[in-house]
Amino acid sequence: MVAEHEQGLDIVDMPINMGPQHPSTHGVFRMVLVISGEKVVDVTPHIGYMHRGGEKLMEAMDYRQGIGYADRTEYLAQFSAELGYCLAVEKLMGIEVPERAEYIRIILTELNRLSSHFMFMGAFGIDSGLFGTSFTYAFREREYIQDVFEEVSGDRLMYAYFRVGGLAWEVTDNFTQRVHEVLKKTQKGIKDLDDLLTKNEIFMARCQNIGAFTADRAIAYGLSGPLLRASGVNWDLRRDEPYSIYPRFTFQIPVGNYGDVYDRYLVRLEEMRQSVSIIEQALEKLPPEGPIVPEKMPRRLRTPPGEVYAKVESPRGEWGVYLVSKGGDKPYRLKMRSPSFCNLSALREMTVGQFLADAVMILGSMDIVLCDVDR
Amino acid sequence: MTLPDGQEEEAQGDAGAAPETPPPAEAAAPTPKPAAERPARPAKEAEPKEAPRIPPPAGSINEILAAAVPGVAMLAYMVPTLQGEAVAVEVGRDDLVPVMTAARDDKRLDLKYLRCLSGVDWQDEGLEVVYHLSSFTTRHQLTVKTRVTYDDPVVPSLASLFPAANWHERETRDMFGIVFDGHPNLVPLLLPDDMTDHFPLRKDNPLQEIEEWQGENLREGAGEGEE
Repeated sequence: MVAEHEQGLDIVDMPINMGPQHPSTHGVFRMVLVISGEKVVDVTPHIGYMHRGGEKLMEAMDYRQGIGYADRTEYLAQFSAELGYCLAVEKLMGIEVPERAEYIRIILTELNRLSSHFMFMGAFGIDSGLFGTSFTYAFREREYIQDVFEEVSGDRLMYAYFRVGGLAWEVTDNFTQRVHEVLKKTQKGIKDLDDLLTKNEIFMARCQNIGAFTADRAIAYGLSGPLLRASGVNWDLRRDEPYSIYPRFTFQIPVGNYGDVYDRYLVRLEEMRQSVSIIEQALEKLPPEGPIVPEKMPRRLRTPPGEVYAKVESPRGEWGVYLVSKGGDKPYRLKMRSPSFCNLSALREMTVGQFLADAVMILGSMDIVLCDVDR
Repeated sequence: MTLPDGQEEEAQGDAGAAPETPPPAEAAAPTPKPAAERPARPAKEAEPKEAPRIPPPAGSINEILAAAVPGVAMLAYMVPTLQGEAVAVEVGRDDLVPVMTAARDDKRLDLKYLRCLSGVDWQDEGLEVVYHLSSFTTRHQLTVKTRVTYDDPVVPSLASLFPAANWHERETRDMFGIVFDGHPNLVPLLLPDDMTDHFPLRKDNPLQEIEEWQGENLREGAGEGEE
């Protein structure tokens, strides 16, 4: 650890504390970096500041109440979390979701992917040193989508709009028209961010060849979502282990070549374009009317004993729910497999050997949600 | 939860309307329907206590696994997934490492992706660790389970086999007190550093009274179509 400098001065590895309150940690997260010169030689992440025992609380809540807790763990992709939770319960109960509800679910989930990726673009721009420019652009776009969610669900953040079996209530009358309007703005927004960031020389210099992860290591570390695809693994649950009605849509899966921070950005950018395309297809096929909950829906949700592992492709990767039931109206055990948690566990591997200044970029490129990490 | 049975049956039988549809127009429309359906609805049979254990069909991946690890005692059955069904195997903890190594390295299985690791507290029947494996090449999915007792909650660590298990195992130790033997750094992850004798997700660790009350109290309205 201690090296003799040629002029007789001692050089020691220096630990630097980052967080828990730090603008670049995207939440309450602390890491202790040990640096030698400018290079990072060790990283110790400390998590758990936001741990609220959601899994324990969900064991005391019945299946309908649990939806709200799914929201609160993944607060940037709430619809993905709600969808994963509902799919798990529906599978155990053997409920078929009506057509119209399926389409509305997909439209909202993909819009949520857009808003989440906009959030990433904005925050990542700040991390890379662009200050507020990309942030203001991205947040303007995110706000349009947020407005649609608010109109539909009545809430800006914790929607709790999906229900086991379908949806809580019918969407607003002008829903399709509103989504079309927002998509038009969104497409322009994606182009704006593309113009602003993709070929930006400073941005490229800060992103390329940083935090690279090979496909083998990405699989071994259990990465998922854009991080896994950026490493060159052609894998997307929406296509490869399809759930809901995803097989009805055609879309491309962007895959990176180098697995570095820049690839992760490019993968997300392309994913946004694909999401727009999925929403357009879904709007075209959306049945104009029909039930949004199954006709024979029990009032009190009870599952037979059994277990199921349900997973959806959230904007951050595989959001899974391992649901164990002993019968009755509450889960016996509910484990949330959060993509943020699994991706963050590879932070040390990605950061060691990189420059200190790049550690922020690597953390930013993971696009973690700390509530989802700690649950 | 603690409603008398009869009351619960009533809530069950009253199907039709969404439990939480707020618009009165919609709530009013489907009400006659369940009355017509009620005679057709069979009397509610008693809930089974345990999920049926259906053995996997011949040629499933548990046979490859059994052949790759000679002499392993394995209980195999099917579990549901969103796409259909997948094989689950229960093994003893001494067989865990050979089975997981075979699952990862056998080219016919190629289960390199550890997607989830969960602990489950089965109270009298001990503590269980559940591993969800999958493969990107062969598209197999496998659930591996192993059980230990409260008195000796030690499971071999898989952190060197699957780096993804590292944090999952630390979390499971925090929550269930399962010790992963051979883990490089088994210190609290989500819980405070000094919280090493108290395991929140075990069933003998109840919620605070107020949290139980919230659950009960909010549930009161859940069946009544209130929002």
